[in-house]
Amino acid sequence: MRWLQRGSGVVLALLLVALVGWTVITAAQEEDRAAIEPATARKAATLVLARCAVCHTTDLIAQQRLPQDRWTVTVEKMVHWGAELSPEEAAVVIQYLTARNHPGAPDQLPSIEAELATMEPARAQSAASDGPLTGIAARGAALFAHNCQACHGEGAVGGAGPKLARNAVLKNEGAFWETVLHGRGPMPAWGAVLNRQEIADIHAWLTTR
Amino acid sequence: MVTVSRRGWFTTLLKGIGAGMVLGGGGSMRESAPQAEAAEATGPLTVRVTRPFDAETPVREFTSWLTSNERFFVRSHFGPPPAEAIQPEAWRLSVKGLVKESLSFTLKDLQQFEPVSLTAVLQCSGNGRAHHRPKVPGVQWERGAVGNAQWTGVRLRDVLQQAGVKPQGVHVQFQGADRPALATVPLFTRSIPLAKALHPDTLLAYEMNGRPLPLLHGAPLRVITPGWMAESCMKWLTEITVRVDETPGYYMQQAYRIPETAVRLSSGLPGSAMVPVEQMPVKSLIAAPAEGDTVRIGPVTIQGVAWAGEAPVVKVEVSCDDGKTWEQARLLGEGQPYAWRQWQFVWNARTPGPTAILCRATDAQGQEQPATSPWNPGGFLWNGWDRLTVTVEA
Repeated sequence: MRWLQRGSGVVLALLLVALVGWTVITAAQEEDRAAIEPATARKAATLVLARCAVCHTTDLIAQQRLPQDRWTVTVEKMVHWGAELSPEEAAVVIQYLTARNHPGAPDQLPSIEAELATMEPARAQSAASDGPLTGIAARGAALFAHNCQACHGEGAVGGAGPKLARNAVLKNEGAFWETVLHGRGPMPAWGAVLNRQEIADIHAWLTTR
Repeated sequence: MVTVSRRGWFTTLLKGIGAGMVLGGGGSMRESAPQAEAAEATGPLTVRVTRPFDAETPVREFTSWLTSNERFFVRSHFGPPPAEAIQPEAWRLSVKGLVKESLSFTLKDLQQFEPVSLTAVLQCSGNGRAHHRPKVPGVQWERGAVGNAQWTGVRLRDVLQQAGVKPQGVHVQFQGADRPALATVPLFTRSIPLAKALHPDTLLAYEMNGRPLPLLHGAPLRVITPGWMAESCMKWLTEITVRVDETPGYYMQQAYRIPETAVRLSSGLPGSAMVPVEQMPVKSLIAAPAEGDTVRIGPVTIQGVAWAGEAPVVKVEVSCDDGKTWEQARLLGEGQPYAWRQWQFVWNARTPGPTAILCRATDAQGQEQPATSPWNPGGFLWNGWDRLTVTVEA
């Protein structure tokens, strides 16, 4: 009888430990889903502006409140339709949107542009301070097609964004770097997506057009 | 602890940004000229998406019988086509597929058919999507993706009869001139069954409320399928193709479909057959007073509109005690097929304080507006009781 009591006590204690452990793990998973590193958030927000806002403004995204599985389906659908996101980039965007626009998020959230503006200064690259870079035009062609073409058109002949072939900005390197790194008007900042070598490669290719 | 601090960072970030901070420009692309003009010309609308331009009508506008062209809700998948594509010199309507003779019309050619005018409600299938729980992806329309306008045009039937529909042709496909930003995005192509296409009230409309169809509403020509949801009412129409089957592709085979069970106003269980959205379910809205208004104790006039797909509305009821008791509203004017019916109810407000006002309609087939609509994955056909809160002041 006593042994039985002690035995059931042990079972009960084990159950309790298991239950507490399970709760802690589940809570941690929830936390993980809601958590995102600032650098990752900044990269994701830049990707949203650069790759999603080609077809629709970000207000459409900001009004959604979806769990991770629905965001995954949505982003996959967009990639299937031509959104220029690599699997790694898509994963970052899904993580960001799940953390920001989940079903429990407040009704009013700042726009993605406003949110990005507060993140921008943290890691902005300087334009000219790190010495000259030699751009390689052959690499620039593919980088342009992947990142710039949706707005600036195939062959840089213009589209939603201005024509860049033979554009005067190519001769003004300061203005060119300033625009690409920090954005200008409706064009987002590319500093979080492209490194300096890649920007130099795009510049080199553009001067051949 | 690390995750806690990370979440803390995120919360701080959200608080720090605050509601007052608005970034100039908002959108991240240069708006095309027609869309920018449209945005300026449609100040009174509630914009849901800046590009492609999607905006709904504030419900206070529904105190008038017709919804003006400037304040009519706007919805498209890709925005209007370039102006060149719809210039009278360039624009043609082609009729092809399973017809005895393929035809091409200018707008003037089409206007040789007998003109027909009718007043009909046009409503986005996603109107009210924001009310569905769990939340559904898509434009979060609230109450105003609907309007009532007079449409003038010619019968689709007359045009199809001139081309001669072959016996195998049982679906009629529509294509507009609008195009997505990327060629990899599927075109917005839809079809309706031949019976609806041959219905004498199905129109190819070139006028809206007595004026040439505006660009945002499908200039120069759009389809009007009275009683059916707006995705059948193709804007910027350029091609009609008679087919043996329903149109393939995303916008017909995947989007704009609902579980068959939801059509019958039951559960909308996943796994049930998905059928195209067609008829509008019975629905009513309160146009005045407005949400949050303060009203004086004593008689308060409540007014609104009610409509149903292909059956007339026969009854509108109003509750001024959050649904505990209902009283019948007075239907105004004469009922017209496809148009909405205005209604009015004089409420004797006696108790100071906040109260919920609700309305619900019933159609001639006995369909009654439900408290909440069956959930469905696309968030379509919301027709739950309309509801707002006012405060009675002594």
